[in-house]
Amino acid sequence: MTTVTASTPVAASYPIRAWSGVPALLALLVGAFLLHIAVGAKPLPVGTVVDALTRFDPTVFDHVIIFNLRLPRAVLAIVVGASLSLAGALMQGVTRNPLADPGLLGLTAGASFAVVMVTAVTGATNMALTPWIAMAGALGAALVVYFIARFVPGGATPLSLTLSGAAISAFLGALISIAHLLGQDTFENLRVWLTGGLAGRDINLLRYVGPWMAIALLAGLALAPRVTVLAMGDEVAQGLGVRTGRLKLQLLAVVVVLTACAVALAGPLGFIGLVIPHVVRLYVGSDYRWIVPYAALTGAVYLLGVDIIARIAIPPREISTGIITAMVGAPLFVHLVRQRTR
Amino acid sequence: MTAATHPRQIVLRSPRERLALRLPLRAVLMFGLLLLALFLTVSVNLATGSYGVALGDVLDTLRGITVTRAIDNVVWEFRFPRTLAAALVGAMMALSGAALQNATRNGLADPSLVGVSQGAALAVVMLTVIFPEVSSTWRPWAAFAGAILVAVAVQGLARTKQGGSTIRFILMGIGLSAFISSITSAMLTYGEIDRAMAALAWLAGSINAAGWSDVWTLLAWIAVLLPALLAVSRTMSALRFGEAAAIGLGAPVKLVRNLQLAIAVALAAIATSVVGPLGFVGLIGPHAAQRLAPSGMAMHLILTAGIGALLVSLADLIGRAAFAPIQIPAGLLTALIGVPLFIALLLRSRGTVLH
Repeated sequence: MTTVTASTPVAASYPIRAWSGVPALLALLVGAFLLHIAVGAKPLPVGTVVDALTRFDPTVFDHVIIFNLRLPRAVLAIVVGASLSLAGALMQGVTRNPLADPGLLGLTAGASFAVVMVTAVTGATNMALTPWIAMAGALGAALVVYFIARFVPGGATPLSLTLSGAAISAFLGALISIAHLLGQDTFENLRVWLTGGLAGRDINLLRYVGPWMAIALLAGLALAPRVTVLAMGDEVAQGLGVRTGRLKLQLLAVVVVLTACAVALAGPLGFIGLVIPHVVRLYVGSDYRWIVPYAALTGAVYLLGVDIIARIAIPPREISTGIITAMVGAPLFVHLVRQRTR
Repeated sequence: MTAATHPRQIVLRSPRERLALRLPLRAVLMFGLLLLALFLTVSVNLATGSYGVALGDVLDTLRGITVTRAIDNVVWEFRFPRTLAAALVGAMMALSGAALQNATRNGLADPSLVGVSQGAALAVVMLTVIFPEVSSTWRPWAAFAGAILVAVAVQGLARTKQGGSTIRFILMGIGLSAFISSITSAMLTYGEIDRAMAALAWLAGSINAAGWSDVWTLLAWIAVLLPALLAVSRTMSALRFGEAAAIGLGAPVKLVRNLQLAIAVALAAIATSVVGPLGFVGLIGPHAAQRLAPSGMAMHLILTAGIGALLVSLADLIGRAAFAPIQIPAGLLTALIGVPLFIALLLRSRGTVLH
């Protein structure tokens, strides 16, 4: 079960190495953040970007562009990337499943489905309620996927979980498409949302979603040390005094909140939660005290980078960010399956 | 010719018993019922729509009697080719699923699950978006090329030293499908907006654009591929017992498996090139046929084709009529039926499928 997590060197004994990555990552994050704001249909010098962020002048046109259009998008990329990666890292730890990812296990489909259905029935989206609706959907889908996999002969293995996640995602995806076709007027903006991307998002939603995300991110970081123990197996964890049942419920709550909020903000972005923890493990090993914070930082940098590519790859048009995350993530998935089922 | 009846089967014998054909009664009965249901669905399908036609008038029109010019036009030019295309495509996807399941020894295989449909879709979208000047008669060939590439890739990636593992095959298909779909989506963003819209309508698995030329294309391919599949059905029966047993029985396993894969890919690719990806029909058809009437391989294939045709015709009818004037693509409805079945199969699977 722990093929991937256990085969990499344990970095807990090299805290200096693990710490050394933090400033580098932070520098990378700042660099990607500034670059993300600077590039675009009208390239702006990084100096102007720094100026706009430190000494905002509403009479300067470029500053207005930065504040109203580009800054919100960069902030979204950071919080969504961090949330999805952290959720993926926790899921991989708690299920001891190298293939765990909020998208693959149906959580993003559940959140999308719930938001679409409520919009279809009530005819409008209420921003204050959106995170709650998305959370309910993500939780429901997670439980259905888990219970299906649980009752497959052989139990909830990475493979049965992935298959049942794919099935539930396909089912909900078909229902979403139908709802979409039936209410084309209501869904004019949902169409953009469902492709999974950061373009044209409503930053106001962050006011409602942000607090929950912040709480869940902090809770995830706080729970990370015990995930390391949990990843060694339930018996070991119980022997070491961890109350596994309660811990799993807490982790489920964190994962659901993070995924649901990320989906509410940016739509279903696939494979981020799968890719980032694996990349991070190459550097920090299998200690979740390091994996979790590293995943959050790396995820933010990654999504900023992907979004830069999405905006400049085929000017003047823009590729959906979700397309690029899938292009990068799917090959890694294939590689992991090959490794896992040899 | 005398017909000797046995409790469960009919045996047709030629004089002096040179030739004999044994038909399992239940399967024949079921096939009759399927045909009847298919006929009813097709008739209702022809009568329903924004221009209502009485069922009696439809039957008259089909017999060649002109009731009114308008009815003649609506039925023959628009609805009949579409309905026929739905039935044909359904049969092809179901047969493709049956051949795939038999060749890969995997009850969960379906052309849309293992990436074959997505490969065909990518090839066709590339053709429409990048080379719009190329005639649409090349579509089936492009689809076939795309589908076969993906099928080979999935097979190659899923192969282990111990031979192909079924579960790996499906997971590889899921991974590759995600990858290919993302390229297809990127292609759509990249292309001109009107070309992209045309490709998008086709991608949802909708049959509304099918005309007579599509029907002839489908029929021509079925005329080649169905007999080919029936010809290898004896070896397919042997393969049902597993590879080792089939080799022991003297079946040319390797040849037949490759042939089967080629036929399965071709069926799915042609069907996809005409109406776009139709999910889960290949999964539902063979399992439903097995439930209706357990029978020999050839009869099983015929029943499978019948079920696929009925399924897609029904899905097309419901998608057209349920929320008119909005049309729900048939592919979405087949997915809604297929997923619960997939889960049921997953739950019943023994250790052989998941390990």
